[in-house]
Parts: sequence; C-alpha cells; structure tokens
Amino acid sequence: MMMRGGRSLVSSPPAFSNDAKKLLVCTSNTVSVFSTATGLQITSLEGHTALVTSVVVVPPSSPAAKVLCYCWTASLDGTIRYWDFSVPELMKTIDIRVPIFNMVIPSFLDIPAEDKGKHRDLFAYVFTEDTKETQEKTKALRRQIRKCNLSKSRLVGRLILGETKKPEVLTVSPSGKFFGIRNKCKLRIWKVPDQGSEHAAVRKITLHHTKKITVIAFHPTQRVIAAGDVTGRILTWRGFGNIAFAGNNGVEKQKLINIQEDKPGVRDNDDADSCTTWHWHSAEVNVLSFSSDGAYLYSGGKEGVLVVWQLDTGKKKFLPRIGSPLLYFIDSPDPTLSAISCADNQIHLLKMPSMGILKTISGIKTPCCCPEMCKGLGNGIAFDQTAGLVALRTENYCIQFYSLFDDRGISEVQVCERNHQPGDDVTVIVTAVALSVDGSLMSTSEVKLAEEGIGGLVCLKFWQAGSQNKEFSLSTIVYEPHRDAGISAVTFHPSGNMVVSSSFGGDFKIWRCNNDIIQSDQMHQNFSWTCHAVGSYKKRPMTAAAFSADGSVLAVAAETLITLWNPYKNVLLAVLGDTLTPIVNLSFLGKSDNLAAASCGSNPQLSVWSMSKLSLSWSYKLRIEAVASAVDSSSFAALALLPESSSETTFKGRDGVILLYNATNPVPTAIWSVKKAMGGALGFLQVNPSSVEEVDGKTPEVLLAYMNGDHEYVVFDPYCKDAHEVSISQKEGLSALELKGQGGQYGYASIYGELPEFSEKRPETPWVPSFPSERPWETIFSGSSHNLPPLTNLCSAFLESLLEKRTAAVE
Amino acid sequence: MAEIRAEEETSTISKTFLIKPKLKSKPRTLPQTPESKYWSSFKSTRIPNLVSSISSISFSPSPPHPFAAAYSASVSLFSPLSLSDGDVSPSSTISSFSDVVSSLSFRSDGLLLAASDLSGLIQVFDVKTRTPLRRLRSHTRPVRFVKYPVLDKLHLLSGGDDAVVKFWDVAGENVVLDLMGHKDYVRCADCSPVSSDLFVTGSYDHTVKVWDVRVENSRSVLEVNHGKPVEDVIYLPSGGLIATAGGSSVKIWDLIGGGKMVHSMESHNKTVTSICVGRTRKENCGHKSMEDRILSVGLDGYMKVFDYGNMKITHSMRFPAPLMSVSFSPDCKTRVIGTSNGIIFAGRRKGKENVESGGRGNVLGFENISEPERRVLRPTNFRYFHRGQSEKPVEGDFLVMRNKKIKLAEHDKLLKKFRHKEALVSVLNKNNRENVVAVMEELVTRKKLLKCVSNLDTDELGLLLMFLSKNATMPRYSSLLMGLTKKVIETRAEDIQSSDALKGQIRNLKRSIEEELRIQHSLQEIQGIISPLLRIIAGRR
Repeated sequence: MMMRGGRSLVSSPPAFSNDAKKLLVCTSNTVSVFSTATGLQITSLEGHTALVTSVVVVPPSSPAAKVLCYCWTASLDGTIRYWDFSVPELMKTIDIRVPIFNMVIPSFLDIPAEDKGKHRDLFAYVFTEDTKETQEKTKALRRQIRKCNLSKSRLVGRLILGETKKPEVLTVSPSGKFFGIRNKCKLRIWKVPDQGSEHAAVRKITLHHTKKITVIAFHPTQRVIAAGDVTGRILTWRGFGNIAFAGNNGVEKQKLINIQEDKPGVRDNDDADSCTTWHWHSAEVNVLSFSSDGAYLYSGGKEGVLVVWQLDTGKKKFLPRIGSPLLYFIDSPDPTLSAISCADNQIHLLKMPSMGILKTISGIKTPCCCPEMCKGLGNGIAFDQTAGLVALRTENYCIQFYSLFDDRGISEVQVCERNHQPGDDVTVIVTAVALSVDGSLMSTSEVKLAEEGIGGLVCLKFWQAGSQNKEFSLSTIVYEPHRDAGISAVTFHPSGNMVVSSSFGGDFKIWRCNNDIIQSDQMHQNFSWTCHAVGSYKKRPMTAAAFSADGSVLAVAAETLITLWNPYKNVLLAVLGDTLTPIVNLSFLGKSDNLAAASCGSNPQLSVWSMSKLSLSWSYKLRIEAVASAVDSSSFAALALLPESSSETTFKGRDGVILLYNATNPVPTAIWSVKKAMGGALGFLQVNPSSVEEVDGKTPEVLLAYMNGDHEYVVFDPYCKDAHEVSISQKEGLSALELKGQGGQYGYASIYGELPEFSEKRPETPWVPSFPSERPWETIFSGSSHNLPPLTNLCSAFLESLLEKRTAAVE
Repeated sequence: MAEIRAEEETSTISKTFLIKPKLKSKPRTLPQTPESKYWSSFKSTRIPNLVSSISSISFSPSPPHPFAAAYSASVSLFSPLSLSDGDVSPSSTISSFSDVVSSLSFRSDGLLLAASDLSGLIQVFDVKTRTPLRRLRSHTRPVRFVKYPVLDKLHLLSGGDDAVVKFWDVAGENVVLDLMGHKDYVRCADCSPVSSDLFVTGSYDHTVKVWDVRVENSRSVLEVNHGKPVEDVIYLPSGGLIATAGGSSVKIWDLIGGGKMVHSMESHNKTVTSICVGRTRKENCGHKSMEDRILSVGLDGYMKVFDYGNMKITHSMRFPAPLMSVSFSPDCKTRVIGTSNGIIFAGRRKGKENVESGGRGNVLGFENISEPERRVLRPTNFRYFHRGQSEKPVEGDFLVMRNKKIKLAEHDKLLKKFRHKEALVSVLNKNNRENVVAVMEELVTRKKLLKCVSNLDTDELGLLLMFLSKNATMPRYSSLLMGLTKKVIETRAEDIQSSDALKGQIRNLKRSIEEELRIQHSLQEIQGIISPLLRIIAGRR
C-alpha cells in the first residue's frame, strides 16, 4: 500500500550470479538484485509473503550458460520459488506448507547437461519446522531436515534426515557431495547420494568438539571440513568420512578400521584422519569459507576482522577494523571479487587478492544500543524534509544519511574521530542530531562518559554541507556548551542561522551563525557559530525546545512548564501551564498557532496548547514516542505506544499507533497501527512533484515517513483515504546505467579476450570456398598467389577435376 | 608516454585517527594577510647606542644600497649586507659637523652625499673618502632639509628655519634661486620623480607649496593647506600625487587635479614624523607584481603601511620608542626606522629576489636585473629524456596522487598498540601539555587512565606529579586534571610518602593550588564589588 524500505540486507547470506555482475540479497519478503559494478539495486524479486531465508543461484551447466540467471528461493511462508532474475520473472512455485529456515541444493553439479534426454530430478535439502505433529512429539525437536524433490514439486515423504531444537544453517560443500549442520558441540555431515533417486539411503557421520560450534565450511576439492566455535578456535578435520563414506565394500571398511592409524587431534574415535586447531579470534567465529582453489581459508567474527589463513602453513593476512561483526563471506565466480556482510547492514564488495573495498551496498544502519543513562534523549533520528533523507546516528560515531525514496545509504559523516570496535564498552555517544530545514546545516551533540568521575565531556558540533550533496564538514566545535550538563535537545531556527540547545543543567543557549565568505581560490563559505544568548527559567532543567514556523517564538520546556521566548532579543514572553510529568518533546504545529507537547514518565500526556489564548486546548493520556508536524498545514502526527494490556488482544502484536490530528480537533483524522513502535520516529516529507507519479490525477501534497525501532520504514500519503501506494518513479536511468557499466571481464578473458567456443564436432569446412565448376582447372590456379588455397586442398581438387565426372545420365 | 593503468578505486572502512588536542578558539581577528606576512618578513636588527635622535636616514641609490643615518653631530654609513650578518657597527662615520645634522641626501649616482646641520651649513661629501668637497653657506638659520633633485646631478635644494627655500648650484657653491613664500619654518621637501624642475616643500605654516624653477618670479605654482604643521612631504612614484604628513594625519593630494585632497589617513595617535614610499609584492591570480605603499612612522611608535590604491591600512607595527625617520631601500630589501632615543631598527628581508629599484623606480636609471629565463625542456632536447623523480609536473599532466602518509607521534603508535602506560609516559616526557591532556582524555575514553596511574613507577609518577603541579590549575584543563590529581594522590599515597622527591612535588602542587585559591578568592571579592554596580546599570536601562 505504500513505499517500504530500510530492510535488513544481512538476514541471510547473499548469492552472486554466475557472471558475478549481480548480487542477490534477501531483503525480508523480497530478493533484491544489486549490481556489483555500481553497488546499486537493479531489480527485486517480489512474491514471497514472509521472510526469504535462502537464495540459491543455479550454476551454469556449460560456459555458455553463464548468462542464464535462474535462482531458487525459500521462504518462511512455506514456498520454494524458481525465478529468472534477469527479467525478473517467477517461473515456478513449490508449496510445501511448512516454514523453511534454510535450503541447500547440493546436486546441481551432478546434473549433466540436458543431453541424454533423461532428465534427473533435482533435490533440495530444506530445514523446516514441523507444524503438524507438535502434540505427539516433544516440543524440543521440532526442526527437521527434509529432502525435497524440486522437479516434482513435493517433499520426499517421511524422509527426515535429522532433527534439532533450533533452526540451524545447512552448509553444502562446493563439490555438492556433502552437506552438514552444526549442532551444539557436534558436526553432522551427510553424504549426498549419488543417484538422484528419491529414497536413496543418506549416510552421515558426526564429528565432536568440546565447545559449541558456530559455523562450518567444506573444502572445495578435498575431504576437509573447518568449523569455528564460540571461543574463537578454528578446527580443521582432514579426511573426514574416509570410513563411513568410503564405498559399499564392507570388507574394505573393516580393513580401514583395523589399521587403526594414528589420528592426531581427533576426538572420540571420530571418522577423520586428523584435526588441527587455529586460534586467533578472541570471540566467536561467524564466518568461515574456503577460497575456490582451496588454498586459503577466510574467517571472521565479532571483532570485525577478516583473517585469511594459508591452509598449508597457517600464515595469516588481515583485513582489519571493518568496524562491525562479520556475518557472511561469499566468494563469487569471479576470482577477484567477493562480498562480506556485516552486522551493521552493510555488504562490502572486496577486490580479492588485495582485499580492498570496491563498493559498499549500504543498508540502513541498525539502531545503536545506548547505556541506560542516555535513554530518553530522543532517538537520534532527523528527517531532511526537502531531500527525503533521514539522518540517523550509528554505532561507529557516524551520522548516516539514508535516502528514503531511493532506499539506499547516501553518505556517512564521522562525528567523533574514533574507530569503533565492536564489543568495546561504549564510552562516547552521539546523543542528538538536528538538521536545518533546507538540510544544508547539521548540528550534533556527543557525550564522552567519565571514568570514575573524571574526564567526562559534552560537545556540541555544527556542520555545513559542502558543494557535494551531504558531504558535511565541521564548522564549529563547542566544548562543554552547558558546563558539564548534558544536552537535552538541539533545534534549528527555520531560517537556518540560529540554533537552540537546551540542557538538563537548567539553561538553554541560542547560537548564531556568522558566515564570513573567504575569497581564496573559490567562493568558500565559512560558518562559525557563537553563543548569542543564554536563558534559564528558575534553574529548572530544560528538557525540550522548538521554534515556531516563522521563527519569531522559541518554546523551551522547563520540565513541566513551557516557556516562550523571543529568540532575537532573548526576552521571556510567556509561561504556559503545567503538565504532570516532564515534557520531552515540543513541536509547533505548522503555521497554526498551536504547540504540541509530549511528556513521558508515569503520567504520560500529549497536550496541544493554543498560542493565541496561552492555554491548553486539549490533551490525551498517551505515551508518545514521536511527534511530527507538517510545515504548511495544521495537522500533525503522533506515534503513541500502546499499553501492554491492549496490544495483545486488539492489535495482534502491534504495539503502537500513528495518530493523525488536526491541531484544532482532538479527534484524530486517521489512525494506523504499527509494529515495533518503541524507538520509532515520524517525519513529514515534502514531495518533489517530478519524482512522484500521479495517483488518480493528483500528487500527494505531503508524505509521512514512519521508521520503526529496527529502522525499517514506510512512506505513505497520510491524507489519502485508501492509502494508495506511493509510487516514486524508479530512476530508469540508474538501472540502465548498471547494464552499461558491466563491461568487466576477468581472468584470462580480461587479458586475451574471449576464447572461441571449442567444440570437437566442428564440421570440417574447407578454409576457402572451393567451387567445383565443370572445368575447374581453368580457374583453380587463377588469382594471386596469396589467395591460393593450400597445396593439399588444391591437389585433391585438381585431381578430382581431371577425373571424368559421371553425370546423372548414368541412371 | 608511459601508459598508466588505471587502478580500480578501493577504499578502506577504517581510518587512522590521531590523538589531537582539543581545538582552541580562534581569535576574532583575521588571519595574517599575505601582505602583513611580507612586512613582518623584514627581520629586524637593532642598531643601538647612537647618541641621540635619528633625524634623517637616506639610502644610496646605487647597489648594494648602503644607507646613511644622521644623529647628533655625526653621520654614519651602514652596509645592509653586513646587517644581515648581524654586524651593527657602522662601515664609516663622518663627524666634521659643528652642530646637529638635520638632513641627508644622496646624489642619484650614490657618489656624493649632502648633509645639512643646524648651524645653517650644507656640506657635500664624497661618500668613499668622506671628505667635504663643497660647503654651501647662505642660510642664516638652521637648515632643516637638503635634497638632491632626482635626475639632476648639479643642483641642490635646501630650506630651513629662515623660511627661505634655496636652489643651489653645487659646483659653484652659489644660490641659483631664493624661493620666498613660506611664512614659517620650512621643514621638508621632495623633488618630482618625473621632472627635474618641479619640487614640493612643506612648512610649519601648514602649507605645502609646489615650485617650478622655470617660473620666473619665484612664486609657487600650487599651494595646498594641510591644516597642521607639515612634518614631511613626498612625491608618490607617479609624480602626480603627493603625500603630506602633519599632525597625526597623512594626506594624499592630487597635484594634476589642482591640489585636491584624495584621502586623509588618520590612524596614528601622535604626530607623524616621517613618511616614505615602500613596495610590496602583490600576487594577482598567480601573476606577481609590485605595488607601492606609503610607510609612515610617528611619535606613537607605530609604523603603518598604507595602500593608497585601496585607501586602506594594510599593516601596522609597533616599536618600543617614538619614531623619527623611516626609509626604504630601492631594492626593497631593507627598511630602516630611526627612533628618538638613538636606536635604529633596520629590517632586512632574506631572499635573492631582485626587485627593481623601489621608490623612484626606473626613473633613477637602474635597470631591471632580471633572471635569465629558464628554458622549457622539449622532447627535442636530450635532457628531456633524463628527467628524474624530482621533475615538476607541467600543466596539463595527469597527476596520480599518492595517499598522504599519516605521521604518527610516538604516543599515537603506542596507543595503537594498546600500550597505554608507555604512551602516557612518552607524552609526559615531550613537554607539550596539550598533547598530554589529549592522551589523558583518550585514555579516559578507553577507561584506562586510572589503571595507568596505578602502574607508574616512582620516576614516572614524579613526572606525572610535576606535570600536575604545573598545569592542574590551568582553567582549560582543570576540570580533568583536578580530578586526576585527587585520584593520583589517593591511589599512590604510600609511594609518595616513601619518596622525598615525590614529597617535594606534592609540596609544589600544594603551593600552586594555594595560589589558585588566593586568586579565586580575590576574584570573588572583585565580583562582589562589581555585581551591585552591574545590577544598578541593568536597572537603569
């Protein structure tokens, strides 16, 4: 019904297309296809109705089939779908009616090209939840590994390979011969049966370890399996399954056991030749992957460091300080390209031997966790109304600018000059971010936590956008703007040359901008901000601040009171009423003379005050998470959290509602219920008429953006009754550009160009067209010498021509 | 041409951040302009111990432009080359005067020097032998100035307290013209740089008169009124403008326009005693050119540089004494200022830059010494193919930039290796308190500062205590350092008691804190006095 975005790119591993020019990423209910050359989205595969959990690209059966773009996807909605993602088009849907947590298709490689006519069935192994038999069985083992016949579109009946408590990740070996899962301290490995028949017995072995295993990886050619555990160790078993998978000959098996060779490092008489351990990671290993030639092992974990191990020697190389825990490492068919997915919703495309980052597919950053003392400082989300951007603080002390319409990250501004290391104690927090109305100025505040009472610091920073869009540069730093008290709110004046910062220390300051234009090489505007005025009201903590739409009135909340000031002369104009609990959010309602105040605590309240009467107009007892008002109209939207009791019964897990009010009318004009409203944000966006398609012959005036606690967002037209989809015209030019930009070839082809397709059955056509005429000896030697066919050809033709031809007259 | 394969652009996610001290607030004044940089690049040398006020300074127009300074009853010649070596003794001194020397003037070839004294005598010396060649006596009262016309080697101009301006024939020692018209002491004169017949004189009767020796009845051609007794007058290099100094103002007049005042510069606080023309380098869109400025000095001890093109003061410099005379060398490398207490501030610029003669420019007949232009290497030249790494890129070359290497200080390196205590000690040894505080703040964010403190051994603890005793009361750092001092004393009390050196540091610390308390106390007293006053003022408004 509307535009959605901000989805997680890292819920499950992505997959490269066969030509390594596209990257398929599971983004909640859809699969997004990104170009690896530009890092921008090309298309998306839409059709699943629940979270897509796996995407498997069909490997090419011959080099010519590289351009084919087919993939299988599995989802929690119980379907497996088959797509042509170049078009994109849904080819086939298999409904197995149980949620699929994971799917692997090991036997692609076994399928020979469709030459023999006998088309073998394609099997997938899926991790499903058993929904039917819950009553009979113990609830513990509800997750099953099952086999699914994709060609016949059904599960292979009754064949349950294994059961676990929790959904685990199925890992398949690159050769397609084995697949395995981790199960607590054990590894289970199955051998894929050779024949494609349905009920072929699947044999399995188990390898043991003393710690909980987190991830496993198979060697591409040898029987080597690597596993990472929670303590950061990497174990490598060589020659696993020599006994169990050796073949059908029982005698041989006996023999092997009898030999009882030395098995260094292997526990519990497991079926492996040797087991070695590497330990570098300090925390759990999340990523393990062998390189395609099997010489290297990539590992990564919570530290955010990608380690490359040389398999034979154990030598290490590092890609350090990625800044976020690593989740997946994917090799592409192009040996110079691979991708890592990070927990902060970024996918980095790596240029391989050097491990430099070529492109970053930047999803919206996940909300950062704050220590308790900084809760309630606002959620650090600011909307740029004109450009349709949202600025949100991230864990690595940055402000990310995310385009709501394009659904991609635009830029990041490093607020504190620090490197973030995942797992470190949080000692520096970006507490507030504010943008001016035109989006060209930004103000941030940060807090450095003290160590046992010494060294704490509050900083207020002002930024200005450069000529490049959203490349902000620092213009002014103010250390300890309100002595040691924390900043509660920062707000821009509508004209952009004034900022108010309010503090819990009982005062607010108005900062003014002096811009001196320095004429050096080009016109370079240099803004510097200085304190223009200081105000306080009865030494009460100032908890929120807002400017009126014309900028003539400044409202500052002094706990439960609202004080109104003239920002230019710094004169107290009026003091408004009393709320029960401290106000946390103030907002002037567009051009109307009303002011909305939200207070939290034990007696939460949403109140609207009339400026003309200086009195309370109306109020509700609601827990308000965010308030947003449109610039030009008198309506405003409030995001209210529902009390726990009501949310379960009436709203089906939805814990918040968005209420759209007209300022004068306490009856909301529209209500939407939403999920994950805690930590959410609301913002009105101005509509650029050129970018929005007309719906029913009219463009929406204004759009409302709602971002939930997980930073997923929707953008919709709040005034449209049936909430039409807001279709922003896709930037056709952008995706056209993608295709053009993919000229890259790699490896042999990049140096020498494509080899001609080699085929043995090439018809042995003669080099030069020779035309046997009736009297060939007249023409056969004519022409210049370099045009003459080789002598061998000539000879036969000549001799042939000398022979007298039998004509058809013989008959 | 070598083919450069385009590297694919790769980036790293993390950057290296240096430990930087907190930014200081910038002063509200504008940063140094290129011009004031130029004027402060004259490296000042003091020439002390000249007996009394330096009444006149004159540069020889011939290179290497030695200058003569008149003080008391003697004239000293200085070589600017020896000045740059730090040698402040005069190269020669002429002392055959019976009274205080009032004015000096070199002839345009620099071979002769004319000097006047208060006895009314004008003498012409050979610069090399220092022998008086001619003695011109006609003035009945003290002579205040003597001046050689710019391109005329045969005549002299002089004037004095008898209010008569005399035009001399030097060879014959006789007066050619007596120019009457001033009603008070004549104090100064200047000869036109474009004509050898025109000159201008200034007098204490507030007027400046322009004379032309070709006019028969010895009347002034033009007269302007400065409004104050005129101390100095100069022609500006164009010859159409003059600048006059009198009282605390410098005025610029347009002679061609009939003696109209163009601008009046009123930035001195006391009487302007002397002005001269200086030159500055001006860069206009990469093209270097020279521009003329007026240098003025006054009894307020300031030297001001005035851009009479834009009518703006471009530089101002303070000297610790009333200034009497100023002069600027024709090669633009030396600027000399004489004070009233016998000190000469001679400023000399370094550099080989060969600027054409200043002030009067080519009028004086000094050709431009230009460097031979370097020939651009072309592929026809053999050396073209031998260009090395140091070759400068030509315009139009495509530059492949290498990333700038970040320089890490020792404490940065140690912090990168998480060797926190070593980092703290190394920065404490470096004696830069801003960096010390920055490292301490970084340690606080890593929650390692107190651990570092508890790990310090006795010597290092002494280092830390010394730093704290010096800086704990600095207002910029006190919020961090006072808390730290308290913690240090609490945690390391036993070590401090066992060592005498540390006890001494603690005593120092105590003393500085007591001092700070005293200051705070007296400040509070002052605040107590002021605040009722402020309140009264606020109430009145």
